[in-house]
Amino acid sequence: MANRWVLLFGYGNHGKHIAQGLVDDGYRVDIVEENEVFFQSAKEDGFDFVTLIDMSKDEELEALDPMQYDQLVCVMDDEHYNVFLTLSLNALFPDSHIVAISDSIHTTKKLYMAGAKKVIDLYEVSANRIHSILERPVATRLLEDFVMSREGISFMEMEIPEGSFLHGCMTDTFNFNAYNVILVGLVDYERGSGFEFITSGYNHKLDAGDVIVCMGEVADLRIFKKMIARTELEMKEAKKEAKT
Amino acid sequence: MNSWVLRFARFLHNSKRYRSIKTHVRDLLTNPHNPYKRYFDIAIIFLIVTSVFILVYEVKHSVPAWLDIYDIYFVSVIFAVEYILRIWVHNDMTELIIEEYRNAKFLERPFNPSKPLKKALLEKLKYMLTPSAIIDLLAIFPAYRPLRVLRIFVLFRVLKLLRYAKSINQFIEVLKNKKFELFTLLFLLAFIVATAGIAIYVLEEKLNPNIDSLFDAMYWALVTISTVGYGDISPVTPEGRSISIIMIIIGIAMISFATSVIVSAFSEKLDELKENRIVERINKSESFLIICGYGQMTKMFFRQGHIDQDSYIILEKDPERVEAARKDGYNAIVEDASRNEVLKRFNTEHARITILCLIADDIENIYITLSAKSLSRNIRVIVRASSRSMVKKYEHAGADHILLPHEVVNNMIHIAITQPTMYKALHAVLIGEDVARIYEIYVDRYDTLEGENIESLRFHDYKLLFLGIQRGKKFLFNPSPKEIVQAHDVLLVIGRKISVDYFKENNGEVRGGK
Repeated sequence: MANRWVLLFGYGNHGKHIAQGLVDDGYRVDIVEENEVFFQSAKEDGFDFVTLIDMSKDEELEALDPMQYDQLVCVMDDEHYNVFLTLSLNALFPDSHIVAISDSIHTTKKLYMAGAKKVIDLYEVSANRIHSILERPVATRLLEDFVMSREGISFMEMEIPEGSFLHGCMTDTFNFNAYNVILVGLVDYERGSGFEFITSGYNHKLDAGDVIVCMGEVADLRIFKKMIARTELEMKEAKKEAKT
Repeated sequence: MNSWVLRFARFLHNSKRYRSIKTHVRDLLTNPHNPYKRYFDIAIIFLIVTSVFILVYEVKHSVPAWLDIYDIYFVSVIFAVEYILRIWVHNDMTELIIEEYRNAKFLERPFNPSKPLKKALLEKLKYMLTPSAIIDLLAIFPAYRPLRVLRIFVLFRVLKLLRYAKSINQFIEVLKNKKFELFTLLFLLAFIVATAGIAIYVLEEKLNPNIDSLFDAMYWALVTISTVGYGDISPVTPEGRSISIIMIIIGIAMISFATSVIVSAFSEKLDELKENRIVERINKSESFLIICGYGQMTKMFFRQGHIDQDSYIILEKDPERVEAARKDGYNAIVEDASRNEVLKRFNTEHARITILCLIADDIENIYITLSAKSLSRNIRVIVRASSRSMVKKYEHAGADHILLPHEVVNNMIHIAITQPTMYKALHAVLIGEDVARIYEIYVDRYDTLEGENIESLRFHDYKLLFLGIQRGKKFLFNPSPKEIVQAHDVLLVIGRKISVDYFKENNGEVRGGK
């Protein structure tokens, strides 16, 4: 899988947890800090490449060589630093893929202006949960599962591999239910690189290289992900086997 | 006699019905949060207004006899009943007698009901002597037409309206705070009027044909100092005119002084009055939100969905933030929600309240949760916690829902890095974007949906994504197409609002989400 090497700016409240999660998923994480205390704690936690820099100096940023990383993640505790960092990184390396955290609506806007590819608002998701608690009590528990737990019902994205039996299938006719998963949406490269929900009503033709997002029990999703690697022929054989 | 009193008191004390009636009547008459009090008030106001109108109309015109009967008997009887009820619910005589009896038993002294009776009656008498009770009493008497002076009783009916006019009560409340200044002013006024009156009386009584008595002189002094100056009595001697000049100058100074005292009293209390108004308005709704703290999370909450103006209130300690909230157009008051009295101001008995503790400080949030839950278990508390280690404490305090914005955002960043495409889907669902909102469809008994199988509902044709069924405590994810929908099921779907509405429309009147 691509995007395996991440440069993480900030090892404070958020950085610490994010770094740990990424390492657990098999990512290589390098850490940059400005604060001496956080820098030390990152070292103690066993990260090999931890750098202490002065964020305001362009030379030091350049010395990190951010372009060799797949993603840059700005999760400093101080939102001003995040904006400043995003801006400097984007000015120095316009092609960089920056993910940043924000704690207010204004900061979110600034971060996008500064060139962040993705901005995650601290309160957006939680505030919506209040709405769903008030209006849709049953959906609430489901929503909680989506982000908080690694088991239970969740989403998973999967790229359709070359030669998969899904190649050429239409989204309206293919029976995802048979695999105990629900197709939520997809990136159909014939129609552009944007994500489209299945509820928008378009009947997509699936091709190799398209990315589909499915929902289901995590175990079922994993099985399905393995299964779509099979070719049509293999599927037929598997079905025959199942019958006999 | 004694035992008879005791037996009667015991009978009332043990009668559940008597006690429940009494609490209900008391609630209706005195508790402003009682939902029925409004109708009661409106009825009484109607009686007052009609009876005053009849009397005023009668001055020049003749009215039909039935209106007179209505005014003299019907209105008066109702007022009398109300008056008696108010005295009745003012305190509990039976409880005092029972207590006295128990004490007597305990001390082994002879039981004598006269003491508690006296005490109770004295309390009732005290109540009867309060201005509002006196007005109530006098308002009972119908204006007896033939005697002109008795028509003054109609005034008491008008005064009775005061009880129902909050703004006038607030006006009096505000002026009470300036009691000292106003009394000083009044004393000064009386002193000057008396001095000037005596002076003019002494100087002009013989010379001025309009001044016959000291009363005339005082009347002149008051008319002059108030700058009203009718001119029916005016000084004729140079000495008297000199006094007038001084009086006029003092009069202007006093009026401006009085005005400034009243204005400053109001400007001091203006914020409080405004806030009281907001709280009162909120208390009238059946269910509402109390949002503690006006920070980023609260702002986000308001951005994501429309909240009815009458269904929420923001409590915030910091006056600057309250100012900001007001500028943004929200109902906010300066209050520290962790104080017990603050939550008591709300209608915790009759309304369904949900408290959102969105303050960034865990200690304060826990405090608010505890004080809300100690006030009433029925208050729902949704709280924001800073870390997972706090969750246990919040659960212990009784919070109903706990939000963990930091943890959620950490997970979201993780997903954004590891599964970027899925992040978009998840993000859309989690913030409730229009194409990806989760809706709940409730199935009641005898709904058209009951007994259908999933396949025949053809969610796909409505461009809805069917997720599963909540049945009792169990959630059936993605059930087989042959699954039969039962009564009390909740169907979960993702899709656009118009799709869901269209689906509900085509499947009979299915109850909505709330």
